[in-house]
Amino acid sequence: MSESVAPISFLARTMRRRSFFRVAGATAAASALVLTGCDDDTATVTTTTDTLALASGDAGLLNYAYLLEQLEAAFYQKALDTKAADLTPADLSGLTDLRDHEVIHREFFKYALGTSAIADVTFNFSTIDFTTRAGVFAAAKKLEDVGVAAYIGVGKLFTSSVYLGLVAKIASVEARHAAFVRDALQPNSAGTADATIIVASGDYAGLNVTMTPLEVLAAVAPFLPFTVDASQLPTS
Amino acid sequence: MNIFKLLANLAEVDPEAYQRLSARRGVLSSLGQLGRRTAATAVPLGLGAVLQKAYGRGTKTIFDTFTLALTLEYLENEFYTQALAAGTAGTLTFPTGTRAVIQQIQAHEQAHVAFFQRELQTSGAAVLPKPNFDFTGSKSGAKAAAFPDVFTNFSTFLKVAQLLEDTGVRAYKGQAGLLMADNDVLEAALQIHAVEARHAAHIRGMRRALGANVRDWISKSDDTITVVGVTDAVYLGEDATTQALPGVLPVTFPGVASQVVTTTAEKATISLGEAFDEPITASVAGQLAGLFIY
Repeated sequence: MSESVAPISFLARTMRRRSFFRVAGATAAASALVLTGCDDDTATVTTTTDTLALASGDAGLLNYAYLLEQLEAAFYQKALDTKAADLTPADLSGLTDLRDHEVIHREFFKYALGTSAIADVTFNFSTIDFTTRAGVFAAAKKLEDVGVAAYIGVGKLFTSSVYLGLVAKIASVEARHAAFVRDALQPNSAGTADATIIVASGDYAGLNVTMTPLEVLAAVAPFLPFTVDASQLPTS
Repeated sequence: MNIFKLLANLAEVDPEAYQRLSARRGVLSSLGQLGRRTAATAVPLGLGAVLQKAYGRGTKTIFDTFTLALTLEYLENEFYTQALAAGTAGTLTFPTGTRAVIQQIQAHEQAHVAFFQRELQTSGAAVLPKPNFDFTGSKSGAKAAAFPDVFTNFSTFLKVAQLLEDTGVRAYKGQAGLLMADNDVLEAALQIHAVEARHAAHIRGMRRALGANVRDWISKSDDTITVVGVTDAVYLGEDATTQALPGVLPVTFPGVASQVVTTTAEKATISLGEAFDEPITASVAGQLAGLFIY
């Protein structure tokens, strides 16, 4: 029997607490196989890769979005904490707004998920250079572009039109973020076509690229301290 | 042909006649019967006022959504095309680096027009012809121009661009729920919606670079550029600080203000409004587009 998070009606939340997965701290969870059917909260240190299993349905999709927002919020927080020497006052103001928006998005999904929410994640940002504005905005560009494509790809998977509407509200803000960090990295760079974000030719020319959850999770894998099992997420 | 009767027919389509199709092409083929009924008539010029009447009934079908989207894309494409032409003619001065950005934006809008035209055409539905546009807002001299220098003053051009792009983002968002019947159509709409949001942010950034008090996201802190009773609908409702979850009353975020660690409660409220873009109805989108249609 899968120990993954079950979809929970938000009108019928129970108070059961599933602590099968903790990352931030010494109690590293064991592999998904060991977690199956296990209510034991105690740590089991193994050499297998930690795995986060996303549930099926809207709950799984919400946790997917929650994970991405946790990632972005943590990134911007670290950028502000590090405070690269060549960040201008306008940069800092912008990064603060970006951080604030991502925190709000994160907290929104956390609230929506209730006891279904995955645990707080400690991300691995060792591949990012936070000591220069170029390093910060280059990483921000990657994260935001992936985030935009992620929200585009996930919208159609929700069964609830309310969640679709909420995700769409966030999606356009992430697109604004993406444009902002790209302009910060290189002013007026939008004057050159970039096929990695907007399809350049053919029937879908002028459309932002889309990414499936599997593609997104592969793209952000370097930052995650675990692998993600997204096999139960809806695909259509 | 009575255009009002024609549009009344559109509104009375039996929603169950729409079949879910998974193929990208021919997505509207089940509405083709309807489209062929309308395509048989020559749609008169001067569709502007009629568009607003139709949208007053609310959109009910994907066909209606596509026609709204096509109208907005025609509008934006024509807007940027005229601006670039004014630049070429020397009557509108583009600051260094901005022309290339506007060219890319125009290329996207042109592609969006082609997308909706193609989708409608291959589905056998009627393709709305391009309306007549007057971006000064004077409706070809019928009334006082709201933006007389739209193509002679770059700052005014950017203001109108911002209003149009932000409206487009909100309009697409307002239609998303109607497109749930078809994953491919919904995804394409979200793809275009994202591009328009990028556009809006780039335009806002351009305005800020020229000294305007404006962010890339819609913010209560931005200087007001709308006129009450004319364009204020563009941002009405955008500073909402509550969001609704399914089955639950509108939610205010418990403790979110405390989560945003370095700001005041007032700033946290502003951030809450910025963090979510809000939809507008087809009716409001039609009214705003109608300011420039004659």
